[in-house]
Amino acid sequence: MRKGMAIAPSPILETTQVRKRRRIALTLLVACLLLFGLDALLFRTRLYTSILEPDSSAGLLELILWREKAAQQTAGDNLVVTLGNSRMGYTPRIVDQRPRQTGYAVRTAGVAGSDPRAWYYLLRDLDPTASRYRAIVFGIDDYDDEDHAFNPDDDIRALHYCIARLRFGDAIDFAQSFHSREVQWEAFRGAVLKGIALQSDIQAFLAHPLKRIAYVRLCHQGWPDWTYNYVESSRNMVGLQIDWSTLTATYPPGMTDEQKDTVHGWLLYAPNPQTGRLAHFLRTWLGRTADRYRTSRTKIVFFRLPRGPILRPDYLVKKRSSSIRELASRPNVILANEHLFDCLEHPEFFKDAVHLNRDGVERFSAMLADEVARILGPPGEPAAR
Amino acid sequence: MLFNTAHFFLFLAVVLALFYTSPRAFRKYILLVASYFFYGSWNYRFIPLLLTLTAIDYTAGRWLEKVPPGPRRKAVLILSLCANLGFLGFFKFYNFLGSNLAWVLDKPANSYFLNIVLPLGISFHTFQSMSYVVDVYRGEQQAVRNPIDYALFICFFPQLVAGPIVRARNFFHDLWHWQPPTSEDVSRGVLLIALGLTKKMAFADQFAKVANDYFKNVSGNPGWLTAWSGVVAFGMQIYFDFSGYTDMAIGMAKLLGFHFPVNFRRPYLAASITDFWRRWHISLSTWLRDYLYISLGGNRHGRWMTYRNLMLTMLLGGLWHGASWNFVIWGGYHGAMLAVERVFRGNRPVREDWNWLYPLKALATFAMVMIGWVFFRAADLPQSLQVLHQMFRGHGHLLLANWHLELIAVALVLAVVEEKFEGFERVLKAPMLAYASALALMFFCIEVFGVIDASIPFVYFQF
Repeated sequence: MRKGMAIAPSPILETTQVRKRRRIALTLLVACLLLFGLDALLFRTRLYTSILEPDSSAGLLELILWREKAAQQTAGDNLVVTLGNSRMGYTPRIVDQRPRQTGYAVRTAGVAGSDPRAWYYLLRDLDPTASRYRAIVFGIDDYDDEDHAFNPDDDIRALHYCIARLRFGDAIDFAQSFHSREVQWEAFRGAVLKGIALQSDIQAFLAHPLKRIAYVRLCHQGWPDWTYNYVESSRNMVGLQIDWSTLTATYPPGMTDEQKDTVHGWLLYAPNPQTGRLAHFLRTWLGRTADRYRTSRTKIVFFRLPRGPILRPDYLVKKRSSSIRELASRPNVILANEHLFDCLEHPEFFKDAVHLNRDGVERFSAMLADEVARILGPPGEPAAR
Repeated sequence: MLFNTAHFFLFLAVVLALFYTSPRAFRKYILLVASYFFYGSWNYRFIPLLLTLTAIDYTAGRWLEKVPPGPRRKAVLILSLCANLGFLGFFKFYNFLGSNLAWVLDKPANSYFLNIVLPLGISFHTFQSMSYVVDVYRGEQQAVRNPIDYALFICFFPQLVAGPIVRARNFFHDLWHWQPPTSEDVSRGVLLIALGLTKKMAFADQFAKVANDYFKNVSGNPGWLTAWSGVVAFGMQIYFDFSGYTDMAIGMAKLLGFHFPVNFRRPYLAASITDFWRRWHISLSTWLRDYLYISLGGNRHGRWMTYRNLMLTMLLGGLWHGASWNFVIWGGYHGAMLAVERVFRGNRPVREDWNWLYPLKALATFAMVMIGWVFFRAADLPQSLQVLHQMFRGHGHLLLANWHLELIAVALVLAVVEEKFEGFERVLKAPMLAYASALALMFFCIEVFGVIDASIPFVYFQF
C-alpha cells in the first residue's frame, strides 16, 4: 500500500495526540515566559544595569541618572537641571565658584550624543513625580527647524541610550517613534528583549568581568568629582575662514583633523531637502516632556545654544517651521531670548565647529545661570515669561 | 530563505498549518509544492534542472526493475549515473577543468571559462538520487511507482540544500507508512530546531566573523597564535554551522513525521581521524563508504588496495565539496591519515576507550583536523600554504576574545556531558519545566550572542 499518508488514525489516538500537542504548545509558551523572565531579571533590574560599561551610551546615561538622583537628596528645593547633548556646555562648577549666587542650584544631566527622545526617558526616571525641579532647561540647536542629511527620528542610538530606562509598556510606542521599518523593528525587539540591544556590552563584560566591575566601582567613587571638575579644552577656531559660495574653508596653521572634520560636517554642507521630519521629531518628544509638566510647578525653559564659531548665511537654507516656538504656547513652557548667546558665536569661544571651548563654557555657564534665575525670579516667586 | 530568518519560520509555520489541516491524501502534494517553492525562492531557474534529474532517475529506477540482470541493466545504471555526474560535473567542475586545461595548454586561465551559477544543493540531491538508483540496481530498493513520491524524495525542503543525505528506503518507509509525529517526536523536533538555531546564530556566526576577518587578510595577521585562532574559529564555525543546519533539518522533518539520520556525533571529541569520520557528516561518510569505498573493493583485496581505496574515496569526497585543488588536497590529507591509522591499527576494529590518554588523542586529532580545515577554508592553494606557514612560526596575537573561549569551553563541557550522559535525551524525558528551561536558555543564548542583523549563509549551502 503506497498511500500511507491516507491511513486514518483511531479517534482515541487523535485525542491523545491533540492533548500532547497542546502540552507542547504550553511548554513553548512557558519557555518564552522563562526567556522574558530571565531577560527581565537581568536587564530590567539593577542586576546588570549596575555593571554597564561606564563609557557606553547606556552606561553614561545611567551614571548621569545616578549622579543626579544623588544630587536631588542634597540640593534643596530650588533645584534646576539642564538637559542637552555635548553642545550644552553648562558647567555647574563655574557657577558655584562665582561670588554672587542666584539662589538656584543649576545642575546638568546632559548626555553627549543624546537627543530629545533620550531626554524624555531620562527625565521620566530622574523626576518620576514631575515635581522635583523648579525648572528643566533644554539647550537646543535652533528655535527654527532645519532638516539635515541625518535625521534624529531614525537614530537607533536612542535605543542604546535609553535601553535601561525602557519598560515593557514602552516597546510599541518607542519603536513606532522611529521612521523606517527596519529601525522600528530593531527598536522594538531591543525594547522587548534588552539582551539583544546590550549584546556587545555583555560580550565585553564576559571578556573581562573583573576588570569591568573594578572600573564600574571606580566610576561610582570618582565620577561626580571628575565630571564636576572637568576643564574644557582651551583651543579655539580663530583664523578659520569660509568661502560660502564654494563651501570651502581656509584653516589656520595647527588646526587638527578633528576640528576640520567638524567644520566639514557642521558648516560646509549644501542645503538638504526640508522634509519636516526634524520638526515632527521635536514636537513629539519635547511636546511629551512639556505635557508631563503641564500641571507641575516645574517650568520648561528652552535656550538656543551658541550656534557656531562662524554662522552659516541665511540663504543657504529656508527654515519652514519652528517647533520650539510652537511649544511656547503650552503652559509652563518658556523660551529664553534666542539672541542671548549671540555674543558667544565667535571663533575664540569654540574649540571646533560645534562645541564651546574653556572660555566659551565659562561665559555660557554664567550667562545661562543668570538668565535662568532671571526667568524664574527669586526663589519662591512665580516665573517671569 | 535561510533557515535562521523570520521569513523561513513564517514559511515553516504556513507549511505545518497547511500540512496538518489538509486531508491526509493531499499532504504529500503540499510538501512537494512547498519544497519547490522553497527551492524556487533561492533561484527558480534551477527548478527545471531539479525536475529533469528527478525524471531521469525516476525513469531509470522503473527501467531497472523491468530489465533482467545483465549488461543491459548495467547500461541503464551507467546511463543514470552518467546523467547525474554529467550535470554535477558540468555545473561544479567545468570551470575547474577548464582552468586546469588552460594551464596545461599554456593559455590564459579564463580561456574556457563559462559564467556558471552552481545550483543550490546539487551535490546533495544528486548523491541522494544516485544512491536510490544504485539501491534499485542492487535489488535493495523497490523502484518507486508514483513520480510524486520520488519527486518529494529528491526535493523535500528540510534537507534539499545541505542534507543530511537520506537513503531512499528510510524516506519511503516514512512516506508510505506515515504516522503523525508522536509527542516525543514533536518535543525532539522543537528542541533540535532550537538547538540548531542556537548553534548557527550564537556560535557559528560569531566564530565566522573572526574566521572571515582572518582569512580576508592572512598576510596582515602573521604569527602562530593568530593563525591558529583564525583556523580554530573556522573549525568552530563550520561545525556549529553545519551541525546546526542539520539539527534544524532533522527537527523540521520530525515535526512533519519524517525521521532523518543523525549527521554529527560530537566530532571534535574524536580520538582519531577514523573516529572523526564516524562522527562528522555521517550521512556523507556512510554514503561514500557504501557506494564508493565498498564498490572499489573496500578492505577485501589486501592492505595496499585498502589504502588505495581509502585514499581514492577521500579524494573524491574532497572533490565532492568543491571544484578546487584545495578540496582535493583536503580529501587527500584525510585519506592519507586514514590510511596511516589503518597501517598502525591493521584490521582491528576502532575502539576509543575513555582513559587518561583519551584527551591527548582527542587534542591531537583536533589539531590535525584543524590543519585540514586550512585547505577547506583558504581561498586558494597559495593562501593555504601561507596560513600553514604562519601556523608554525612567529608569535602573533589571539583573535578570539575571552568570551569566544568561554563559548568553546561551554560547548566542550556540553559535548562531554552529551557523550557520557546523553544530556539531550535526559532533557527530552525531563518534566515540562526542565524542558522549557532548556529551550529558554537556548533562546537566551541567541538573544545575547546571536548574530542577528548580519546574514551569514550556511557554509554547506555552497556545495
